[in-house]
Amino acid sequence: MVSKIKPLSLGMLLALSATAAQAEIRFNGFASIQAGTTLSSSDNLYGYDNEVDFKNESLFALQAQADLGERLSVTAQLMGRGANDFKAEFEWAYLTYELNPQTRINAGRLRTPFYRYSDFMDVGYAYDWARVPSSVYNLDFNNLEGVSLVRFGQLGEVDSTLQLILGSYSGTTDINMATTDADIKRVAGATWELVQGDFTARLAYLTGKLTMVDQDGGLSGLLNLLEQSGFADTASQIRIDDANSAFMGLALGYDNGSVVLSGEVVRARVKDTVIPTQNGYYLSAGYRINSYTPFVSFERRDNDGKAAIYQALAAENPFRPAVTGVVESFTIKQDTWNIGSRFDFHPSAALKVQFSSQKDKVADRRDQLLSVGIDLVF
Amino acid sequence: MKKLLLAAFAFASSVCIADIAVIAHPATADTSLDEVSRIYMGRAGGLMPVNLPEGHPLRDQFEQAALGRSPAQMKAYWSRLVFTGKGRPPVEVDSVAAKIDFVAANPNSLGYIPASEVTDQVRVIATIAN
Repeated sequence: MVSKIKPLSLGMLLALSATAAQAEIRFNGFASIQAGTTLSSSDNLYGYDNEVDFKNESLFALQAQADLGERLSVTAQLMGRGANDFKAEFEWAYLTYELNPQTRINAGRLRTPFYRYSDFMDVGYAYDWARVPSSVYNLDFNNLEGVSLVRFGQLGEVDSTLQLILGSYSGTTDINMATTDADIKRVAGATWELVQGDFTARLAYLTGKLTMVDQDGGLSGLLNLLEQSGFADTASQIRIDDANSAFMGLALGYDNGSVVLSGEVVRARVKDTVIPTQNGYYLSAGYRINSYTPFVSFERRDNDGKAAIYQALAAENPFRPAVTGVVESFTIKQDTWNIGSRFDFHPSAALKVQFSSQKDKVADRRDQLLSVGIDLVF
Repeated sequence: MKKLLLAAFAFASSVCIADIAVIAHPATADTSLDEVSRIYMGRAGGLMPVNLPEGHPLRDQFEQAALGRSPAQMKAYWSRLVFTGKGRPPVEVDSVAAKIDFVAANPNSLGYIPASEVTDQVRVIATIAN
């Protein structure tokens, strides 16, 4: 999940150093060193191939937080991902204002809270798997610039965390191997997490206006050609221009100290574009035995390309093969099984071993990956 | 040497099997044990919880008894909040004596100590029997 984000200005860091004299700065950090290899030379999964790779999913992050007094603080998290050659970028950089002990406002670069584990998906130490389930955690728009309000509360026995978020995203993502500029304007959303004893439930709903333009112009060129040739209707059904987008997610969890269960189901829609409804879910079960937490999980991703777009073109239409190719490239059907274990071998570090086997039902192939990693927090 | 070992053993066992007193400044109102665990999990504001250092046996015992989590689980729990702007862990002091002093000096603070070490500087608001 490589999200290339333009580096923020150094303003936030300067703000930190400027206050160094008056304010206490706390440093925290986390790191993951993960190695993986697929089981056969033709396999490819999560960026790994048959050569043992230590870089692909490894990352280092350092967070600095300065208390400015009067309930105001500033936080910056600098992260270097192996997949990005450990080039450090600000993953988070925000001001926090504590309205009251139950309510805080964060403003700046934040994580978009699509998923239950979105906020800490990079902090491997915070969960048992080697990585968050990619069948669900696959929207590339990890971060946004905006403002978020988090409110903690209690409803009888239930602890509630409500988050409201507003902002926008601008960056690049890869669609079918093509680097694509992506903009989401007017991101607005709410998440609500309820915890009662061992049970957790979380709901998320976000909307935005998505625009995507491929950098090499392959798709844009085809769309222009369609328009010039009298197939503007087809082009408009494909083009991703200020498209109404909506994301829904539901997560459930249970953790009684020994048994750890979790599941999440998500659906995303980008109206009147080539992007089909995105469906994904996972179910995971683990069992803590002293320092070990073995687990097994199943994931499914199920996106049907919008065949109606090319079916509307006559069979002999010269554009039909190209349009079909574009539409069908969005069909994704994958089932993945994971089995592995976490081992808390040190107060600040966990060792994880995970085997993943993914069946791609469109390409009719299976890819298998073994990964071993250490996650630290400090 | 034998005496020292015995003393060390007695100390260790007094820490590990002692009843825990949750203490607060004398001016603090009653707080339920549920509320105390919410405060130590960063889910409720109002009072300022004071912790002992990581690896301190009394902290491990308190977190297991009152919060139902092992040290590794607590660390994972806090890493979910610290790196996401949702909260920060309680302040830490080095020793039980330092904690009593801190709580006695700070009207809104809260701590846990062995029940046998309670002084009249602080008020016991809850007890966790071993």
